[in-house]
Amino acid sequence: MSPYILFVMLTSLGLGTTLTFTSSHWLLAWMGLEINTLAIIPLMTNKHHPRAVEAATKYFLTQAAAAAILLFASIYNAWYSGQWFIQDMSSPVSTLMTLAIAIKLGIAPMHFWLPEVMQGISINTGLILVTWQKLAPLALLMQISHNIKPELLIILGLMSTIIGGWGGLNQTQIRKIMAYSSIAHLGWIISILHFMPALAMVNLFIYLIMTITMFMTFNLLNSPTINTLAVNWSKSPILAATSALALLSLGGLPPLSGFMPKWLIIQELTNQELAPTATLLALSALLSLFFYLRLSYSLSLTIMPNTHPQTLNWNMKITTPLPLSLMMMMTLTMLPITPTIISLF
Amino acid sequence: MVMMIVFSVMFLISLIAVASNPSPYFAALGLMIGAGVGCGMLTQFGMTFLSMILFLIYLGGMLVVFAYSAALAAEPYPSAWGSLEVFSYVVGYLMLVVVMWMLLVNDFGAFDEIEGCVMSVRRYVGVSEMYNAGGYMLLVAGWVLLVALLVVLELTRGFGRGCLRAV
Repeated sequence: MSPYILFVMLTSLGLGTTLTFTSSHWLLAWMGLEINTLAIIPLMTNKHHPRAVEAATKYFLTQAAAAAILLFASIYNAWYSGQWFIQDMSSPVSTLMTLAIAIKLGIAPMHFWLPEVMQGISINTGLILVTWQKLAPLALLMQISHNIKPELLIILGLMSTIIGGWGGLNQTQIRKIMAYSSIAHLGWIISILHFMPALAMVNLFIYLIMTITMFMTFNLLNSPTINTLAVNWSKSPILAATSALALLSLGGLPPLSGFMPKWLIIQELTNQELAPTATLLALSALLSLFFYLRLSYSLSLTIMPNTHPQTLNWNMKITTPLPLSLMMMMTLTMLPITPTIISLF
Repeated sequence: MVMMIVFSVMFLISLIAVASNPSPYFAALGLMIGAGVGCGMLTQFGMTFLSMILFLIYLGGMLVVFAYSAALAAEPYPSAWGSLEVFSYVVGYLMLVVVMWMLLVNDFGAFDEIEGCVMSVRRYVGVSEMYNAGGYMLLVAGWVLLVALLVVLELTRGFGRGCLRAV
């Protein structure tokens, strides 16, 4: 892509999300979401093959439909309550607004577009899709979270974790697995949103770090399926070792930092007298943990029986080690500073 | 009142330019000039917002679409106003206008009522408020329009593509 076009698209991506962040008017928030949708479409069709075009079309259609529902809900709210302020959404249409934002985020049962879109695009665009594009709708959801019926968020959260766990079990493509992992983590985020939005932000923060780590790893290793993960031990032994631990952190195992949000959410849900919900969430996290374990099994716990002429690959160069090493360090070692992280939000 | 006479004469000339059947590009050029001076005439009557809308939608929307579709059916050597067959049409229409003027125009009383038409402005103020109340968001909206153009161009880039096909 021409560097000017790439610059315009990336700038518009940044503009759209910050516009939604800083707005208190529903129309402006909707504008920011539409700018995001529009600007990521050429990034998706950068490598112009049929799968990418199909993914971009599916993404555009679902996001445009969700934005139309969001606009309808905000106009209804303006007609009902006479004002456009985002945080004063107390009309009966907050459910519709939540569902529109859920379509934008890929929360079950509106998650069907996410695995197919993730599969069709390159892994870096997938990273943008799963991290940056989630921020703006979540900002809106957090602002209206005290007005939504808590049952809706709990049901959406439970469905997302269960479907995210079950759906990822049968996948061999890495990008689809990461899509289902995104669905499951978003389920955790929205299940606690009504009770303690600060915990939802902690979970989002940790999820972003872990996901960025895994996507950067998969980008470096250049392996699209589980089969091709198996030859990566010779490309970079450090990466093989640490990404196995990073996958377990995604699964939520102590003493890695992925355990922090799950622990705090289960504690808060139990304090709110929702212990069965917390139990179901924890059990569905086991499903996700299974396919993360399968990935780390292929990646570093076994050595596949294909012969290698040498022990270390000579042409695997990590030209910019700082971002990946920073994210990897944060996704493995942040559990002991949990109080600091909580105090940030 | 001088402006009104100038605008009206230019309007007639642009209509002659459109009607004398040169290639579509030159007819569109005449139409642009005619719409431009028509907007000037509206402004003289006091309807400034209406003239802005006319300019934007007519020239910026419809005419641009017409220009793109005319460009698809282009001919390499279009006949302009200097060529003989077009110039005879221009002279013919000009003589028609002059003859009709001398026959039908008796007084210039219509031009004296320009100063009394300020009441019509109030009807359109509410619509233009829509463009005023947004503040700098109008700038963002303009940027988004540019980004939409770039997105469409990027998606359909290339000589062999031209559309969002899957191959």
